[in-house]
Amino acid sequence: MTLQVAPPAVGTEQDRRTGTQLQSRWLVVAEQECRDLWTSGRGLILVFLFSVLLSGVTYLTSTNQALNFLEQRESVNLVLQFAVAVGVLATLVVSADGISGERERGTLETLLVTPVSRRSIIGGKLIAALSLWIATFLVSIPYVWVLARGVGILGRALALGFFVGTLVAVGLGSIGLLISAACNSNKTSITASIFLLLILFAPTQLPSGLPQGWFFDVLLRANPVASGLAYISSILVEGHSWPQDLALLITPLLTALIAGGALMFAGPRLVRLTRGVNAG
Amino acid sequence: MIGLLVGVLTWLPAPAVAAEPLSVKVIVEPVHLETVLGGRFMITTEITNTGAAPSGEILAHLNVASIEGSVYVDPEDWSPNRSQQLSLEPGERQKLSWEIQAVNAGHFAAYVVVVPFGSNVAGNEALMISPLVDVDVASRSTLTAGGALPVVVMVPLLLGLAAAGVFFGARRRGSDR
Amino acid sequence: MTSTTVEAVRLTKHYGGRSAVEGVSFSASQGEIVGLLGPNGAGKTTTIRLLTTVLEPTSGEFSIAGHSSTSATEIRRCVGVLPESSGYPSHQAGGEYLRFYARLYGLSRSQARSLSAELLAAVGLEDRGQSRISTYSRGMRQRLGIARALINDPVVVFLDEPTLGLDPAGQAQVLDIIRSIAKARDATVVLSTHLLPEVEEVCSKVVILNHGRVLVSGSVGEVIKTALIEQSAQLRVPLDLVERARNVLAGFPDLRIEQAAEQPEVLILAVDRPGTDSAHGEVMNEVLAAITAAGIPVLRFELEGARLSDAFLKMTSEAVA
Repeated sequence: MTLQVAPPAVGTEQDRRTGTQLQSRWLVVAEQECRDLWTSGRGLILVFLFSVLLSGVTYLTSTNQALNFLEQRESVNLVLQFAVAVGVLATLVVSADGISGERERGTLETLLVTPVSRRSIIGGKLIAALSLWIATFLVSIPYVWVLARGVGILGRALALGFFVGTLVAVGLGSIGLLISAACNSNKTSITASIFLLLILFAPTQLPSGLPQGWFFDVLLRANPVASGLAYISSILVEGHSWPQDLALLITPLLTALIAGGALMFAGPRLVRLTRGVNAG
Repeated sequence: MIGLLVGVLTWLPAPAVAAEPLSVKVIVEPVHLETVLGGRFMITTEITNTGAAPSGEILAHLNVASIEGSVYVDPEDWSPNRSQQLSLEPGERQKLSWEIQAVNAGHFAAYVVVVPFGSNVAGNEALMISPLVDVDVASRSTLTAGGALPVVVMVPLLLGLAAAGVFFGARRRGSDR
Repeated sequence: MTSTTVEAVRLTKHYGGRSAVEGVSFSASQGEIVGLLGPNGAGKTTTIRLLTTVLEPTSGEFSIAGHSSTSATEIRRCVGVLPESSGYPSHQAGGEYLRFYARLYGLSRSQARSLSAELLAAVGLEDRGQSRISTYSRGMRQRLGIARALINDPVVVFLDEPTLGLDPAGQAQVLDIIRSIAKARDATVVLSTHLLPEVEEVCSKVVILNHGRVLVSGSVGEVIKTALIEQSAQLRVPLDLVERARNVLAGFPDLRIEQAAEQPEVLILAVDRPGTDSAHGEVMNEVLAAITAAGIPVLRFELEGARLSDAFLKMTSEAVA
């Protein structure tokens, strides 16, 4: 067998070797990662299972004859909380697999020898991970529509859910990729990321009857997930105005900015063939 | 019921002297409105200082009570910002507005109570209460199983079909020889 | 005039206190196929990773196609790499995989599509472009990896153990492709392997590494000569004709004849006087002609010490000692 393929004739000799297209490489990476996620069926299975969960919640809510107006608002809040929880979890798990998974599967080296910058690789993987959050949010829209239209909070609920969820997803997705780049083992990366998420979600599940002093307040406000969800609740359930509890958005916003910034600046240095003492 | 509420609100430990009424006049509008469950409406109150001296810091506070007596009302659910502070010169009047959402169905009364506030409290002032706003909230069905069923069934069905299509399509591609 | 496409000067890589590569220097020219040999752990893969900018050297310099080691992005544009035990995304189709890499190198969608189809055809996978890589055999994956290494029409192609785990037919296919890469594309091929017959078959130059250092480099013949291995031959004749063969061989005064210990029908022949390879080869030719002329059937005649494997074993065992 002999190789008779002529090199791609795309212009000058220089072009022949580098290609003439200046399309952003992170878009190419993002597109392929999204295709891997969605055409392999993994993403679709996740959103399918999520829709089954929401269908159960919505059906039980709609058949509850005793449901009053306020409880219906709370059910809208609940659906959005599910959407943020599932979307962020999926984003985090995919991010946590982003670099350490490629290392374990032996596919990272071939990516590193291309002229694509490490930053583009990371950026593309983050975008692909965020597609899971976007998908879970889109799936939740019809359920929010059904539950919210009767109580007049549809637009507010969707805008809030998308804005807060995106902030949290960007922040935690970035953290997941940083963990992944820093871990040699994919198992360690995913475990650490899920554990982090559990810690962040735990305060949101504490019974409301517990005494809530300054410590709980600090715990809430320092936690991007808890404070983001609290902001959604304050507007949808308690009927507060947009600016009233804006301070609750500080942590999700800072997390997104700091984690995202750290990922873009420090991440490239972490994207190497191996991590650890013998890292090269 | 209203009389009882007013009595409770104006009760004070028996002072040594009779309570001094606040020198304000409170007008509220509309006096009657009808809405449906979930409907939003505004109540506007005009408070006038009828005295010869400045009113000092006063607080106008909105309350909602059920006239029928069978519905539990948490005014916090109806309007999150129910207190507004103001201070009036003699003869001055000021309009205040409250945005309210009817979260219960039934027959209710909304009213505004004006009380001295902060350092202005001397301890022997009577409260001024606005006339009642008669609020009739009609019940409506905001969520039914029939209305939710299309979404509950179709969304997972479509997603499941898509997932199955992708899964079996990939298997067929993989088994191509 | 062929240009130097690979130049490594005292490349060194340390991991903590351990030296993986120490002072490695060698060069390669356009169109050359260089065999990078060494036992396991010799530093072959580390050397390739240094030259392809996957790892940073602790010290030393190198250049690829005129680009110095400080221009990592430019080097990556010029090289194609098939790493050892390279993984593949199992759920992607072969064609999809090549199109992705083509687009990473800056090709448009249509360019990527047509190049991918051409490369798949060139490596014999044109019928399997739509199939998932998970259904590919090991040989097919290696060919796909070679195709990917050629996506950017590289100046230098690094192939790390490309025939690992392949059956003889698969190995032959891959070696054919390697020859074509150098010939048709005029690319330099750096081939890391410990299958010495394939190095002898395709490589014009050899670099032998051991414990991270270069033991010897040069053409195959030069390396064998450097090893100073005595050349000999094994002659196998029918057992009842061994004595007759001995009598025929007695006519060669410079020929030393020994009988193999456990195989009395095998005679080990060595030329006792110093001489060049070709001189020794001529004597062996005469020996063979004399045996044949005497009507003695030659069941096996094999030269030893003239093989790269002999030189390799000798040099690496000396290095251990």
